[in-house]
Amino acid sequence: MKISLNWLKEYVDIGNLPVPELISLLTMSGLEVEDYKDQNEIYKDFIVGFVKDKKKHPNADRLSLCTVYNGKEDLQVVCGAPNVDKGQKIIFAPVGSTIPKGNFVLKKAKIRGTESCGMICSEDELGLGDNHDGILVLDSSLVEGTPICDALNLNDVLIEIAITPNRPDALSHIGVARDISALLGKELKIPKVKSSKSISKLAEIEIEDKLNCPRYSAKIVKNVKINESPAWLKNKIKNIGLRPINNIVDVTNFVMHEVGQPLHAFDLNNLSKKKIIVKSTKEISTFKTLDSKDRKLPKDTLMICDGEKPIAIAGVMGGENSEINLETKDILIESAYFNPSSIRKTSKALALNTDASYRFERGTNPNITDFAAIRAAELIAEVSGGKIEEGIIDNYPNKIEPKKLTVRFTRISKLLGFGIDKEKIKNILSALELNIIKEDKDNLIVTVPTFRPDIEREVDIIEEIARINGYENIPTISKISITLDKKTDETTFTELIKSVANSLGFYEMINNPLLSKEKAMVIGDPIIVKNPQNLDMEYLRTSLIQGGLKVVSHNIKFGEKDLQLYEVGNVFNKTKKNIKSFDDFTEKSKLLFIVTGKSTKKEWNVNESGYDFYKLKGFLNSFERKIFLDNVLNDSYNAHESNFYDNYFQKNYKGKKIGEGGKLNKKILEQFDISQDVFLFEYDLEYLKDIAPDKKYYIEPLKFPKIYRDFAFIFDKEIIYNSVIEFISKNSSELSKSVRIFDLFENESLGKNKKSLAFALEYYSKDRTLTEEEVEKDFRSIIAAVTKKFDAQLRGN
Amino acid sequence: MLQEKIKLINKDFSFEIKSIKDAKQLDDLRVKYFSKNGLVPSLFALLKEATSKEKPLLGKILNEFRTDLQNQFDNVNSQLNDIKNTNLNKLDLTLPGVISNIGSKHILTQTLDEIKFIFKGMGFSVHEGPELESDYNNFEALNFAQDHPARDMQDTFFVSDDFVLRTHTSPVQIRLMKKQKPPVRAIMPGRVYRNEAVSSRSYCMFHQVEGLYVDTDVTFAELKGTLASFAKQFYGDDLKFRFRPSFFPFTEPSAEMDITCFICKGDGCKICKQSGWLEILGCGMVDPNVFDNVGYDNEKYTGYAFGMGIERIAMLKFGITDIRVFFENDYRFLKQF
Repeated sequence: MKISLNWLKEYVDIGNLPVPELISLLTMSGLEVEDYKDQNEIYKDFIVGFVKDKKKHPNADRLSLCTVYNGKEDLQVVCGAPNVDKGQKIIFAPVGSTIPKGNFVLKKAKIRGTESCGMICSEDELGLGDNHDGILVLDSSLVEGTPICDALNLNDVLIEIAITPNRPDALSHIGVARDISALLGKELKIPKVKSSKSISKLAEIEIEDKLNCPRYSAKIVKNVKINESPAWLKNKIKNIGLRPINNIVDVTNFVMHEVGQPLHAFDLNNLSKKKIIVKSTKEISTFKTLDSKDRKLPKDTLMICDGEKPIAIAGVMGGENSEINLETKDILIESAYFNPSSIRKTSKALALNTDASYRFERGTNPNITDFAAIRAAELIAEVSGGKIEEGIIDNYPNKIEPKKLTVRFTRISKLLGFGIDKEKIKNILSALELNIIKEDKDNLIVTVPTFRPDIEREVDIIEEIARINGYENIPTISKISITLDKKTDETTFTELIKSVANSLGFYEMINNPLLSKEKAMVIGDPIIVKNPQNLDMEYLRTSLIQGGLKVVSHNIKFGEKDLQLYEVGNVFNKTKKNIKSFDDFTEKSKLLFIVTGKSTKKEWNVNESGYDFYKLKGFLNSFERKIFLDNVLNDSYNAHESNFYDNYFQKNYKGKKIGEGGKLNKKILEQFDISQDVFLFEYDLEYLKDIAPDKKYYIEPLKFPKIYRDFAFIFDKEIIYNSVIEFISKNSSELSKSVRIFDLFENESLGKNKKSLAFALEYYSKDRTLTEEEVEKDFRSIIAAVTKKFDAQLRGN
Repeated sequence: MLQEKIKLINKDFSFEIKSIKDAKQLDDLRVKYFSKNGLVPSLFALLKEATSKEKPLLGKILNEFRTDLQNQFDNVNSQLNDIKNTNLNKLDLTLPGVISNIGSKHILTQTLDEIKFIFKGMGFSVHEGPELESDYNNFEALNFAQDHPARDMQDTFFVSDDFVLRTHTSPVQIRLMKKQKPPVRAIMPGRVYRNEAVSSRSYCMFHQVEGLYVDTDVTFAELKGTLASFAKQFYGDDLKFRFRPSFFPFTEPSAEMDITCFICKGDGCKICKQSGWLEILGCGMVDPNVFDNVGYDNEKYTGYAFGMGIERIAMLKFGITDIRVFFENDYRFLKQF
């Protein structure tokens, strides 16, 4: 919201407070200043100039060579504006001034070979308006050399404040002035109006929906002349960033920004039966608003109607059918209080957010509608020559009374951690119009003004005290007590996972879980977002795979083809059509490893090698060993139900799938625009966490020597490694502690459809040194068994 | 006589062996002293002439002498061999080493780790919660009324009328307090979503760390002290900070914390929009309505809560100007950290 400092000063005296201090004061009291423009500062270098002469620029058709008199001397200035002419008074920017648009310092320059000592400015360049078609031509009575701050009354400070949703009271100049008055201890000056006690008979107001419209006040002004507003009004309206429209609308806007009450002016003679009826729609209907748009109104939309038809969407926007126009003579000024949530619902349903709805949905002051209507009527009469109709029309069946709240002094210090002087507290409350109606040594009872709907409880009053007293005055303690109860860290396992992945050479990626339909549908049953930002982010990921492949694709495009990545993240699958409870979907934590390209690049003493299925398996084995799951999971190699993988395997624990992966199928990769092999594996992190032990136990290193044996057999080609290794493990004695394949060899010389597998065996005992004889005996018996079982042929020995 | 000869030979040998430069000279020496007709065996020939009484003693002396010379010879021989070997296998030590692959955590994870480390040191536990949250936990329980404009503060992705992609990590507060009686002191990191147009400054999802401390005597002063300590540990000891009033439905009073801009040191720059201050987090005292919603006695207990965005912190700390780079996962970016 924009605040004009000059305007603000009409309600509170800020004395000699420098602007930056005022800005900081506002920010530090919760009215955060996002930006401010001090016109005196911005325009300090600009002066009124006189164009004494204009000639064509010798080297450019579109440029003029002007002689500008600055009150002291004639200067040569190059100007590109089509409307510059001899005899004009203009805004002159001397060399060294800072041009607001683009924030640059003007230098003496040669433009197309001709020296230019300054600049003639347009509205746009100065930030005074949007017009950039030509220079701004000033009133001819202005004197050359006069600073434009004086000549054009540019002596305001325009302050942009971010008002938090709890502070509807601060959405006006008086509202902001009230905080300043409390902060500075100065009086708040509210403009006086003539009270209107009598009741006007010129129109009638009927409220059908009293819940959503607790109060409707109106004031009538007759014989107005719709016209441009006077300069003071236009200037105020412009300074707060609005566009002046006409004297009636400008006054309603002025009053809204003065006291925070949105107003609407109807053409009284267009109101059928001179009647206003406030009621909610019973069914879906359409209505044309004053911006000439047809709006589809849902059921239960609060409407302002006349004797026969709707004329405005209450609190949001007026209708085209009752808008004031140049012929309007008599007006009815609406000043009402609407239920905030009703206005918000309408504004949301219509996606129509106006200055009025913005204030109504935050909560306006129900007890100010009469004041605002009269204030507007008086100003309208002043600027439009109209005559104020005696009396006010005010329908307010159930008066909303200020709440009463109790504040305990002890509670203030318990919450804030320090005590505040009682007198100070009382002063703050009074300045904020929280009137103290009762006081004892422990408590204060205050009434809460109806412009502060946010103050509902004791704690809200404590906040007001803390805020005005200054958060900087709350001590910053330097010691805290630490409770000695058990501490938990639910991220410990994830951290372990990540550091193991890093040590294996993997880089962590973090992907956006929102995917396009096409990508999401690749796996599982994805959940749709009802209001996506765009179609590329319409569904939640069902797996980490899609995001991983997008990253692979991105990197390959940028020439990074050798990738080793992992991600830990949540994936979502729906289990029912509609999501009404946590049982209707799953959210699971997953871990994805993904590798592609070369695992080792060619170096002067190292040969190049690529990632493959076995390297992926190796990574997983190393990973599992380091999270204490060495040899706990079983691999299975059934075909995957889809054609997602060329080579697929899964890892299981006690029959339950813990993860799956393999080499991806080309068709899938094509969908991600990838043309090189990709190997990946996705673990279910929650299962993994469940089965991973918290710690590993120490195993004493072996004290006796190991004995090694190895053998190689020729097998039929279709005999798989796993069946051999399992058989060996099962049939060797307890002396044989490990079997490891160390060679695989296929060659015609072995015979057709034959292969050779070589194994190394390790024998040892924890308790004694084994003898060659007992090892040899076991070794021989395994050889015999393998030979027999697989019809294999022992090689070499 | 024999002993004199030993002395002479010893003197010559000691002199000669010192000047040996290569294998050829050493071999010449060997021939001169140790070959069949060399000087040392010739001494043994002289032994025959000694008396039987002298023989044992002289024999012993002679043996020791021979061993001594042989040792000296062997030493020099092995030294020469070492030099020879070194020269044969001489390495070009300037060739590059063989690089091992080592990965790293994403910079956002690293930033979070640092934050966790600081708060764990101050006695905070670490908890997590789901990203697909009920509207109740995300809004209602946190005192966002159904039709209140406060809901506009966070543009929300809906997956149904009752379920949303959480817009902040604050629902984890609700989950934690429903599960555990005070004292509760925890931080809650996680991913959150906002329905905002993607640009260099905002993304539709990001990460937050939530903090909560509830006990019988928790005060705003303690909140200030705790967060000031965090900021100093994280950003540096010399920073200034300020707390200014703000609004969050689930805290009352509410505040935002600013620190002096560490780019311009408070003079005003582009990053801090000329203000000299950078907003780093929102915080406040837990609203009594939130305590009601989780079944805590709001008279007995007080508490504070805070929340900060990790992306923003990492952007400031590492000079990253476009939030999107975090989620592109460009390998060249990931490898930098």
